[in-house]
Amino acid sequence: MLNMALRTFRRDWKAGEVKVLLFALTIAVMAMVAIGSITDRVHRAMGEQSSEFLGADYTFESPRPIDDAWIERGRNDGLEITRSQSFATVLSSDDNFQLVSVRALDGKFPLKGTIEIAEKPFTQGVVQQAQPKAGTIWLEPRILGVLGVEVGDTIDFGSIQLTVDGVIVAAPGQASEVFNVAPKVLIHIDDVEKANIVQEGSRLEHILFIAGEPAAREPYIQWLKSQKNPTQEITGGKEGTPALKAALERAETFLRLASLISVVLAGVAIAVAAGRYSQRHFDYSAIYRCLGMQIRQVHKLYLWQLLMIGLIGSGLGLALGLGLQSLIINQFSDYLPKPMVGISLAPVITGSLSGLVVLLGFALPSFLQIAKVPPLRVLRKELLPRAMSSWVIYLLSIGVMALLMWWQSNSLLLVGILLAVAVVTYLLIRLIAWFIFKIGVWLGKRGSLPVRFGVGQLKQYPAFTISQISAFGLAFIIMLSTVLLRSELLSEWQSQLPEGAPNHFLVNVQEQEVEPLESILQESGVSTKGIYPMVRGRVVGLNDMTLEEALDENQQRVGAVRRELNLTWMADVPEANKVTQGEWWSESDVADDRAELSVGEELAQRLGLEIGDVLKFSIGGLEVEGEITNLRSIQWDSFQPNFFIIFEPGGLDGFPASYITSFHLPVEDKGVLNQILREMPTVTIIELDAIMEQVQSILDQVTMAVEFIMLFVLLAGIAVLYAVLQVSREERLLSATLLKALGARKKFIRASILAELILLGAFSGVLGVIGGEVLVNILYSQAFDIDLVLHPWYWLWVPMISVGFIGIVGWLGLRHLLNQPAHQVLREY
Amino acid sequence: MLRTQELTKTVNSQGQDLTILSDVSLTVNEQDTVAIVGVSGSGKSTLLSLLAGLDLPSGGEVHLAGEPLHQLDEDERAAVRAQNVGFVFQSFHLLPGLSALENVMLPIELKEQDRAKERATELLEKVGLKDRLQHYPNQLSGGEQQRVAIARAFASEPKILFADEPTGNLDTKNGNKVSDLLFDLNKQLGTTLVLVTHDDRLAERCQRIVRLEGGKVVADNAVATQTEATQAATAEQ
Ligand SMILES: Nc1ncnc2c1ncn2[C@@H]1O[C@H](COP(=O)(O)OP(=O)(O)OP(=O)(O)O)[C@@H](O)[C@H]1O
Ligand SMILES: [Mg+2]
Repeated sequence: MLNMALRTFRRDWKAGEVKVLLFALTIAVMAMVAIGSITDRVHRAMGEQSSEFLGADYTFESPRPIDDAWIERGRNDGLEITRSQSFATVLSSDDNFQLVSVRALDGKFPLKGTIEIAEKPFTQGVVQQAQPKAGTIWLEPRILGVLGVEVGDTIDFGSIQLTVDGVIVAAPGQASEVFNVAPKVLIHIDDVEKANIVQEGSRLEHILFIAGEPAAREPYIQWLKSQKNPTQEITGGKEGTPALKAALERAETFLRLASLISVVLAGVAIAVAAGRYSQRHFDYSAIYRCLGMQIRQVHKLYLWQLLMIGLIGSGLGLALGLGLQSLIINQFSDYLPKPMVGISLAPVITGSLSGLVVLLGFALPSFLQIAKVPPLRVLRKELLPRAMSSWVIYLLSIGVMALLMWWQSNSLLLVGILLAVAVVTYLLIRLIAWFIFKIGVWLGKRGSLPVRFGVGQLKQYPAFTISQISAFGLAFIIMLSTVLLRSELLSEWQSQLPEGAPNHFLVNVQEQEVEPLESILQESGVSTKGIYPMVRGRVVGLNDMTLEEALDENQQRVGAVRRELNLTWMADVPEANKVTQGEWWSESDVADDRAELSVGEELAQRLGLEIGDVLKFSIGGLEVEGEITNLRSIQWDSFQPNFFIIFEPGGLDGFPASYITSFHLPVEDKGVLNQILREMPTVTIIELDAIMEQVQSILDQVTMAVEFIMLFVLLAGIAVLYAVLQVSREERLLSATLLKALGARKKFIRASILAELILLGAFSGVLGVIGGEVLVNILYSQAFDIDLVLHPWYWLWVPMISVGFIGIVGWLGLRHLLNQPAHQVLREY
Repeated sequence: MLRTQELTKTVNSQGQDLTILSDVSLTVNEQDTVAIVGVSGSGKSTLLSLLAGLDLPSGGEVHLAGEPLHQLDEDERAAVRAQNVGFVFQSFHLLPGLSALENVMLPIELKEQDRAKERATELLEKVGLKDRLQHYPNQLSGGEQQRVAIARAFASEPKILFADEPTGNLDTKNGNKVSDLLFDLNKQLGTTLVLVTHDDRLAERCQRIVRLEGGKVVADNAVATQTEATQAATAEQ
């Protein structure tokens, strides 16, 4: 049997019968391998980058000392672990004091990324991974001003003195922390005990920074998760960077979607090609059966064919896919996350196995048909195989599809969405089939003869026509949604960090310093977005009740009611906020004794606050009330100071305020900061430029990755279109040749073929647009959190491109053959 | 060799039961040559398909080489075909991807007999295609293709050979050549032959002519003498 299978294969090969199926499979595997491994590599590289924000792949935080055995275990597993203690304390030098947050390290820091240490504030530093020596301290530049010290000076730290050894220019850290946490200092862990600074009962956080190869790291993290108690917390790279989290997650969803989509495209191409292959083999099968082959044998024969096609196609696709991905990664390494991680086996295996599975799922139904041809077909040509009940076929294909998608994307949500869209597409295709029939009838009365003939071709083989339109349409749906999603993500990311966004903040500016500060800024040509007041106060009452009376135990634990809050007043809704309930004040009228309040919706939800509730604040010993008139959503990743509670203008008049301002400052202008610090030493400078730059560069790279994948999906889509056109080419060729043999003129043949192609293109394009809009909007709302948008611009373009592509490529494939003598073509087919 | 009893075939066409063959009872002995004739649509091909087990009757019995075909399922009938039956069709039905030689080897291999290549070559020599062994069907003329088909039909040394209009697609000259070959080989190998045709000259070369009309046997005559006469005439030419 194998012998015969090999011979059949060789002959099919020579006769070009397996060409198209093999082509489709090769493209499919190539796309899956290439998209899969590019996605995987970019994804892991992005993971590496976000680890740099965290300073490690993972952190493990615990309020109590961490068992040494746990650390030992990790180190034995080959992981790098730096132990640290974190606590707040007051540094002093002469009469100056500053609350700082201390990080005491027992090893190298950071494990991922670098820390930049300089000799002077606001200058470029040395990039390194290091640990302060015992007896020394590294501090953030703003502390120097407050304490009035320079590098080389000593400062008091508990019962000992530490030498200032360097200024921290940039360090891993979370952008959102910056506004809330005291400036950071780094010391050696041994100095904590020596300084005798941590008292019984003071809050001390024990943190492990963990880094290492995924193979060693992930099991250890899993183990930690199983061991840890609820007060202990594990944070991965991505969670540590809220500003990037959303962007990275979306990029990841996009990439996953892309690899998933490659499966769909592959399936479509293969299904069409396999359908065609099996049709061509019905006659063979009938002859085999007539000569006495049993159904089982014919099945076996064709399963062997399938296997051989599968192996060859997967092999070719694998080789091409690997080549392509390394080509792309090398060619564009400058734009991709750095350092680029090596290729990993998983997507390669997944890709090539998927090829075989797609082949089975989409080609097997057609191949199983072959043996079921009644042998009587040798006498009665019109006999077709008994159809498998169609739901078996659909179930098989859909099952395989869903499984593969899940395998590739690991996201049930995406799989669900795509399956839902598949149903919509199916209904659309039914509708279109009905249309074709109607149009056929209509043109049958009106169109010129060649047009009628062309349309007749479509009507005559409805199943084949529909499978072509489905394939073309799906390819367009997928290409369109990829393009649309990509534009949406890109514009979103651009707006997240617009050019010239403020990257420096001045906090703690005193009332009398406002004017001098404005003039310094003006002189140096720095423009601000205004200087805002900030009042520190606590929430002490709700609706004439104390908090103890008004809130339950859990609510009382919410941080915002336990500590002092930054309060402010504003005339307009701040940029990164959106009013979600109630209305923003139109103009201020604090005539009545109660100011209007705007509260962040998350806080309101946690505390059970509603519009109309009255909050009482205690500010510097005085009390003031306000009524909630609106709730806001706050975008925490915006690099803007965010306020839980905002008063209407005038609402905080009379309370001692400090001021806050922000501006964009390029590196070369950073000298201004020294001037400001000299003239107003108590002002706190928060530098976000380094972190914003890093975020920007990651966004740039993610953007690039998304562009690539889009390009690749487009290429794969075009390949599918081409493959399907190849499949149908013979059909058209044959009908054209018959026409020719019957004496039709070239012009007539051309017109009829073009009519057929144009109609195909138009229907596919319309299907593509409708399906694409549906898919994109479902994806927007379910996976990307974007509002519904329609894209009328594409409603015209996609069908036009579809008609153009299918018309031109379809025509080019036939043109030269039409010039051959009819009998030669007829003989060959 | 072949025996039918009250063989009936009805098909359902557009909601109506259509009887295309009714009560055909025939017995064909070993080494008989039988022609089935009749006008177009009289049910000749239908009868042939039932005799060869390509299709199942609606009623009645078919026994081929002792096997009750009407009681067998598809695969069992295929097995009977593999062991006993050869075919020649009007439209040749060669496998286009196989060379002439490979086409002829196929049934031998299916029967799992050895020396497939030698025997196939021998047969192709007999039909005068010694030089065309490696040619593919699309490189052969219709007459040549049908000669390959005849070689293929005899390749598995079938006990019975069915031919449906073997000369129907050929001109007179090629048709004669093909029918000569068919009868010669048949005689040499002692095969039973059942031949469907509406060519009277071809039918007369058989020992017996069964005439169908509207799905019924209307005549069943032995034409032994005529056949011998025809053969003599052909030989003289
Ligand atoms: N499955 C079927 N459905 C409907 N009608 C059928 C079917 N099979 C055969 N027939 C009809 O039965 C009749 C006999 O057909 P058959 O092919 O046996 O004729 P034939 O004698 O071989 O004719 P010809 O000489 O033209 O080949 C024809 O009228 C044909 O249309
Ligand atoms: Mg017939």
